[in-house]
Amino acid sequence: MDIKQTVLDILNDLTGSDVSGAMDDNLFDSGLMDSMGSVQLLLQLQSQLGVNVPVSEFERSEWDTPNKIVAKVESLA
Amino acid sequence: MAKRLLRIFGPLILAAILVFAVLAMPVTLGFSHVSAARERKAAVSLSPNVLRGKHMKEEALKDGYVPFFGSSEWSRIDPMHPSVLAQKYRRSYRPFLLGARGSQSLTQYFVMQNIQSELRNKKAVFVISPQWFVKDGTRKDAFGFYYSQLQTAEWLTHFRHDAIDQYAAKRLLQMPVAKSDHFIYAALQRVAKGEKLTDFQRFYLQTRKNMLTQEDQFFSGIDLPSQNLNRVNQQAKQLPTHYSYSALDALGGRLGKAATSDNRFHISDKFYHQGLQKELKTGKLKNFQKDLSYTKSPEFADFQLCLDQFARLNTNVLFIIPPINGKWQKYTGLSATMLKQFDRKIHYQLQSQGFNNIVDLSNKGNVPYFMTDTIHLGWRGWLAVDQRVNPFLSKHQKQPHYTISDKFYSTKWQNLSPTDLTQYEAETK
Amino acid sequence: MLSFEPYGNPTYFALLGVALLPLMIGLLYGKRSRLYETLISIFFLVLTFGGPKWAQGVALIIYILYEVALTWGYAVYRKHQNSGPIFYLMVILAIAPLAIVKVTPAVENGQASLIGFLGISYLTFRAVQTMMETRDGTLKDYQVMTFLQFMLFFPTISSGPIDRYRRFEADYRSVPDRETYLGMVQKGIRYIFVGFLYKFILAYYFGTMLMPKLQLMAMHARGGFLDLSWPVLGYMYAYSADLFFDFAGYSLFAVGTSYIMGIATPMNFKQPWRSPNIKDFWNRWHITLSFWFRDFIYMRLVFWFMKHRIFKKPTTTANVTYIINMLVMGFWHGVTWYYITYGLFHGCALVINDTWLRYKKKHRASVPHNGFTQVFAIFLTANMVCFSFLIFSGLLDKLWFH
Repeated sequence: MDIKQTVLDILNDLTGSDVSGAMDDNLFDSGLMDSMGSVQLLLQLQSQLGVNVPVSEFERSEWDTPNKIVAKVESLA
Repeated sequence: MAKRLLRIFGPLILAAILVFAVLAMPVTLGFSHVSAARERKAAVSLSPNVLRGKHMKEEALKDGYVPFFGSSEWSRIDPMHPSVLAQKYRRSYRPFLLGARGSQSLTQYFVMQNIQSELRNKKAVFVISPQWFVKDGTRKDAFGFYYSQLQTAEWLTHFRHDAIDQYAAKRLLQMPVAKSDHFIYAALQRVAKGEKLTDFQRFYLQTRKNMLTQEDQFFSGIDLPSQNLNRVNQQAKQLPTHYSYSALDALGGRLGKAATSDNRFHISDKFYHQGLQKELKTGKLKNFQKDLSYTKSPEFADFQLCLDQFARLNTNVLFIIPPINGKWQKYTGLSATMLKQFDRKIHYQLQSQGFNNIVDLSNKGNVPYFMTDTIHLGWRGWLAVDQRVNPFLSKHQKQPHYTISDKFYSTKWQNLSPTDLTQYEAETK
Repeated sequence: MLSFEPYGNPTYFALLGVALLPLMIGLLYGKRSRLYETLISIFFLVLTFGGPKWAQGVALIIYILYEVALTWGYAVYRKHQNSGPIFYLMVILAIAPLAIVKVTPAVENGQASLIGFLGISYLTFRAVQTMMETRDGTLKDYQVMTFLQFMLFFPTISSGPIDRYRRFEADYRSVPDRETYLGMVQKGIRYIFVGFLYKFILAYYFGTMLMPKLQLMAMHARGGFLDLSWPVLGYMYAYSADLFFDFAGYSLFAVGTSYIMGIATPMNFKQPWRSPNIKDFWNRWHITLSFWFRDFIYMRLVFWFMKHRIFKKPTTTANVTYIINMLVMGFWHGVTWYYITYGLFHGCALVINDTWLRYKKKHRASVPHNGFTQVFAIFLTANMVCFSFLIFSGLLDKLWFH
């Protein structure tokens, strides 16, 4: 299973809606994500992909669209 | 780049130049007229901005207002208050009330600095509160509150080198607020030492004075509180159409009785319930003034500043010495002997220098409804004041003849016990 | 000895202009002089903490040496080891001076602590943040001199905005190209002038002219239900307006000055009165503080709670953390009942807000969403916030207990 699909599954699960149709939409502005969701995302990334991201590495502006998140995780994996 | 920089800073530089040009201009623009309505408001507003400023006072005094120097008593506006009586009975004068809670002689001296031409050869009324003459004199924070750089700058541009200026400068240097402008502070230090100001200091003071004068012209009339004028108008309605002393005296008694119904001190209920009642219940107020003395104080020298200034301007002044509520005085243990001594000392300072228009009410503390609260004149007290103020201001008065003595600036005088007065007089003749 | 409140009077701004001019010319020609920046920093720090306030200045120096020793020591330690307890101990030590300063007035009858100085809480945020990022390993290259510049950066020392070490360092180590820098200067000047409008006109009107009158009226009108009266309501709005214009004005000065120095300090306010809900409000109000709390308290606590599975449901985790987060913020303002109540109020507001947002998400079809609901949401949020500021103002304390 590729990273992109896993990340999208996590995001769909967390936001409760399908984000794959709007890969460049800002998840925080639309209210789909918040701080709580970010932490859940980080934990899921850790458990499902083994990607370790410290909270202080989580700069919101670098993680605010599905595309950015996928790119970020791919660079870290 | 130059173009972009000009776009960024051009408006800023232009604005700075314009503001500075307008403020530092030695001539005043055409905003100087003050309407009669605003003068009426300002005269009773007791606003600190009016006290600290110049323009409002100056314009009103030119229009026939008479300066009434004093402090917190001015805010006790009842039907017999001087401002109410003057308005109701269309007197030839209108009081311009100067001073509020905490303003004492030193503040008043500086207030006089920028209304000198309006005081010269004119009349004035001055209420001397015995409470000013406590051990430490004026409170530094109260002085700071009424302090005006404009008045200080104005004073520093016309001072002469003698006792009055040196004393005033030394006194001002003791106040933390004098440090609010470092150049003025440095100038004060030179005056206190009897040195001349430097050319730069004179230039700075002149520029600063111009700026502050412009600021005062632009802003002092903004947001004048109108509630006191409303109160004056309200109170005037209670007065009979035609002036009659006996009718007013009876009315004063009636109003006083109605307003002081629920306490044994004959203190107005409103004042009584604003915390005084609570404090009385603790019992701490019983005899709490028994060691208080008004006989030794730097205030005596500060007061001399005012006398000196009046003498220089040949101002004819009526002094009023209010009493203290007799019941209150007894309860708090304030010494009657000490009050008599204070009276003697202040009388000596006034009369030995030719200030003979004195309304001494100090023995009226037990007249019912003379006072509105603990230390402030009310109904019959105001009426008694009017009995003397009206003829003084309405009729022609003999020119005063003042003989000022610098000995009243000395610490010896400030701390002189009134029992040694006779000896002091003999020694310093 | 001269002594100034930062951005307090025209003289301060005149001095600022003169001091920044050489720096600006330098930056325009691609040069950044560390020495000159340090000199003017020291000059303005002496203006703020010297003269009659020298005791504060001494407290500042001792505090800075203490925090440098802690962060430096920890950075050296972290290169070799990474023990949890040591980290917690260091954080507690870093916060200790602030805690003492905040608790002292509550136990000493309102007396201020001797070790306090203007801006201590903002410096503590910066130091703790540096330490936490060192622990996470995201901050690897700790430099004492950069840390000192970061802490003592004079435009923001007294009340923020709270910058981040790595962001500051990146700006500080580089020189913006001319076009970018001219843009920054233009913005900086505009910010400072909007700041004049906010702080010296609007905040003056609400804070100095209106508030004391309303407070007096409110005190006179006591005696009704909970001593409340119309003037209390007026005070609530006047206080809120004053708080906003005063602090936003100050922040504009601080950010504007930073921009002119070629440092893009983050903005503190983003039209907070347009927020449709409390959660959004905290993304727009005192942003650098609420983001600090979000990143270093809220997210870390949530992370910890979820990792250790303390609560079954994520929503419970979120709610508990909201309350803790806002309570800490309340305590940070000071140990008085009204600051703590204010924190609790916002904690609860966030919980309710979150619940509602979840409900709305689930029932998207049945909950109307249109222009009117949007305006209503903004109105409701603004009024809730103003009410919380009334608690915060301490007026109720005066009404009830004085």
